[in-house]
Amino acid sequence: MPFNTVQFFVFLAVALVLFYVSPQAVRKYVLLAASYFFYAFWNPRFVPLLLTLSAIDYCAALWMERAPAARRKPLLILGLAANLAFLGFFKYFNFLSGNMALLMGRLPESFAFDIVLPLGISFHTLQSISYLVDVYRGEQAAIRNPIDYALFISFFPQLVAGPIVRARVFFRDLEPWRAPDAGQAAEGLFLLVLGLVKKMAFADQFAQVVDSYFKNVSSGGGALTAWSAMIAFSLQIYFDFSGYTDMAIGMAKLFGFHFPVNFRRPYLSSSVTEFWRRWHISLSTWLRDYLYIPMGGNREGRWKTYRNLMATMLLGGLWHGASWNFVMWGGLHGVMLSVERLIRGNRRYEEVRGWRYWPQVALTFALVTMTRVFFRAANFTESVQVLGQMFGGVAGRWLLEPWHLYLAAVSFAVAVVEERYQATDKLMRAPAWAYATALFAMLVCLELFGVVDASIPFVYFQF
Amino acid sequence: MLECGVRPNRIALENAQASTLRLRHLGVRYNISLAEVSTAAPPSLDRRRIVCACLAAVAAFLAFDALIFRSGLYAGITEPNSTAGAFELTYRRELQKQSELGGNVVVTLGDSRFGYLPRQANELTAESGYVFRHAGVAGGDARTWYYMLRDLDPTARRYRAVVFGVNDFDDEDTGYQPDTDLGPMHSFIGHLRLSDVLEFARSFRGAALQWSAFRGSVLKGFVYQSDFHALLSNPLKRADDVRMGREDWPQWTYDYEEDPRSLAGLSIDWKLWRAAFPPGADDVQRETVRDILMRPVARQEGVVAEFRRRWYGKIFEHYRGSPTRIIFVRLARGPVLRPQNLVVKRSSSVREFAALPNVALAQEHFLDVLERPDYFKDGTHVNREGAAQFAPLLVREVRRILGPAQ
Repeated sequence: MPFNTVQFFVFLAVALVLFYVSPQAVRKYVLLAASYFFYAFWNPRFVPLLLTLSAIDYCAALWMERAPAARRKPLLILGLAANLAFLGFFKYFNFLSGNMALLMGRLPESFAFDIVLPLGISFHTLQSISYLVDVYRGEQAAIRNPIDYALFISFFPQLVAGPIVRARVFFRDLEPWRAPDAGQAAEGLFLLVLGLVKKMAFADQFAQVVDSYFKNVSSGGGALTAWSAMIAFSLQIYFDFSGYTDMAIGMAKLFGFHFPVNFRRPYLSSSVTEFWRRWHISLSTWLRDYLYIPMGGNREGRWKTYRNLMATMLLGGLWHGASWNFVMWGGLHGVMLSVERLIRGNRRYEEVRGWRYWPQVALTFALVTMTRVFFRAANFTESVQVLGQMFGGVAGRWLLEPWHLYLAAVSFAVAVVEERYQATDKLMRAPAWAYATALFAMLVCLELFGVVDASIPFVYFQF
Repeated sequence: MLECGVRPNRIALENAQASTLRLRHLGVRYNISLAEVSTAAPPSLDRRRIVCACLAAVAAFLAFDALIFRSGLYAGITEPNSTAGAFELTYRRELQKQSELGGNVVVTLGDSRFGYLPRQANELTAESGYVFRHAGVAGGDARTWYYMLRDLDPTARRYRAVVFGVNDFDDEDTGYQPDTDLGPMHSFIGHLRLSDVLEFARSFRGAALQWSAFRGSVLKGFVYQSDFHALLSNPLKRADDVRMGREDWPQWTYDYEEDPRSLAGLSIDWKLWRAAFPPGADDVQRETVRDILMRPVARQEGVVAEFRRRWYGKIFEHYRGSPTRIIFVRLARGPVLRPQNLVVKRSSSVREFAALPNVALAQEHFLDVLERPDYFKDGTHVNREGAAQFAPLLVREVRRILGPAQ
């Protein structure tokens, strides 16, 4: 039940009605039931898995809290191992067994199982891990009510692709739960529509260009063809994922929950370091807090900082998908972050201003777009083919139509205005006529540009 | 990302509004800003105003759609080389002509296979007494003709006869299922009314298609999307094309000369299902022969019969009690005939229609003389010579059915 379907909106409407007509004490049960229904609608066979993982984390956290200090670490390791074992089996078993088989000179499929990746497992595993670690560190009290914890893991707006919510953020809103006021409901609705427009009118339009190119990469295309396809993919993935996130945050607001922002105009970044502060913020902060800093961060000398950056980004890449392409993608980002750190030395990171800003923004966008070849291509061979075309001598055909460029230009202008004036925040709090005008504009945009007859899944749903 | 300490930049300033977590780990203290959305309620919106704002936005959106896409405003600037543009130009051309032509006008409707030329038919007006106009568009079907006629002839009295060209009086399913094809909707979308929405949507098979048809006929912008994108890409060219379409198209279509190419020399061995093409046959000629004339036999499920009954039925309903005669003509079937025993045709809806008071069938075989390779430019369309033969045959047959002009 993807967010951009009529089916989902019917489900959402029913869930909202049932939630608000129920007595307050029952609402969390309604939300939990709706979330499990949402999960089961995709594949009911995995409901026991979600229940099991929730139960393990719930019990491990409680035991950890009650255990003496010396016994807390083994409990933490046990909890983490359980989560990582499930993730490892479902997501990485075939990848590892395939590589093992290759090393043994056998076919990659020799030891492979027919494994279906459970919906959202990459995301809720990170949530579980952060919860366990926070409880271990004493920064989060173990949750007493199993229903509360099950809801934290399965809450349907962010179950499939985040944002990765920390326990303290979620439980701050759950206990005591406060009904969203009119302004928050207006924000929620606004974000819901905005996300839908980003997905259907922008991401899916660019997706059609990208798919047409990647359907037959080997037929060749030339530099313009490959660059236009990759620029389209950069735009697609941003609108797709940030659209999904806007919808998730919007829906959560309608239920009275307030999630952190996940994107802040990432393509206005003037360096890769800044890009990662603006892109998929809930993941990058997670990696920072639970991987990079525990490894020592930047406090143990230059070389260890580079090592930590590389390790974090390689694992971040692998988290996205079980293939060498994602490892390569993460590794390239690790290298770029390390190089920027090397150039900067021990100076603190500062935003670029003045005349250097726009050229650096363009360079950052180009670098990020180039690395995305590994993110989008089906395999390593195809990635090399695409890169070969991007830097080959043949010109090829530019795939983007003028109206695609208008869409990109409009969104770029909106991003610049947003960057300077926080326009969206102001619009959501603007007088009713301005709010209505913005909603009207989004509906028109959806009608004139929304891809409605092609079923294009959210990019991050596959992770 | 991956930064410890306070960051002296804009992001840090934004984040400073959010909560700050003091994280203790391994004896080191880090200050980490968590990016969070402010939960403060906006002061200017209350519940009533939000509901009003949402309703106003939806109302304005529906009004926008109606103003642009229901008023004919956008239909007038659709790409002339598209199905929607061709339908619209044909509709406007015929509407404009109605006042000039008197009471003995015969309008013909059919797809591109109905390849007679009205100009040639009207060279015989002195003899027949009738003026022929062609309101058919390439790729159209009975559904298309219904929406065309409903707006072209709202009183059901403007034409002496409406002549439909059909492939066969018998119903043969060819594998194409019109009730699963939303494509034709693009041609007549400008003429769908709100009162059509439910019935139109129900005419498609399956919930997904019915939903698409419903959505498209309520909010026409969805259907006009690709045309709008093309307009955005090159507005000057569109303006030029539309102007040319308005000024030149009526005369250009009337003076049109059919393609002189022919398939003379084509033969098909139906036992081996193999065609022998004349030297120099091009790709279009080969493809149309292979894909249409030599199409595989489809399962006969009554799809065509049902479609014809539904949509011609609506046309008959429109003309009920009208003096306008409705005539069905069987078009020339191809440069070479398919064997008669290939398909057992289970029904003949067109013959059933003939029982209705103002419906007539032309002699079934009066166009058989055109079924020769030298009268066809490809596997399905008559050529210049075929069209020249077609017009007088049609005029004589229609004159025979209608009698002398009044």
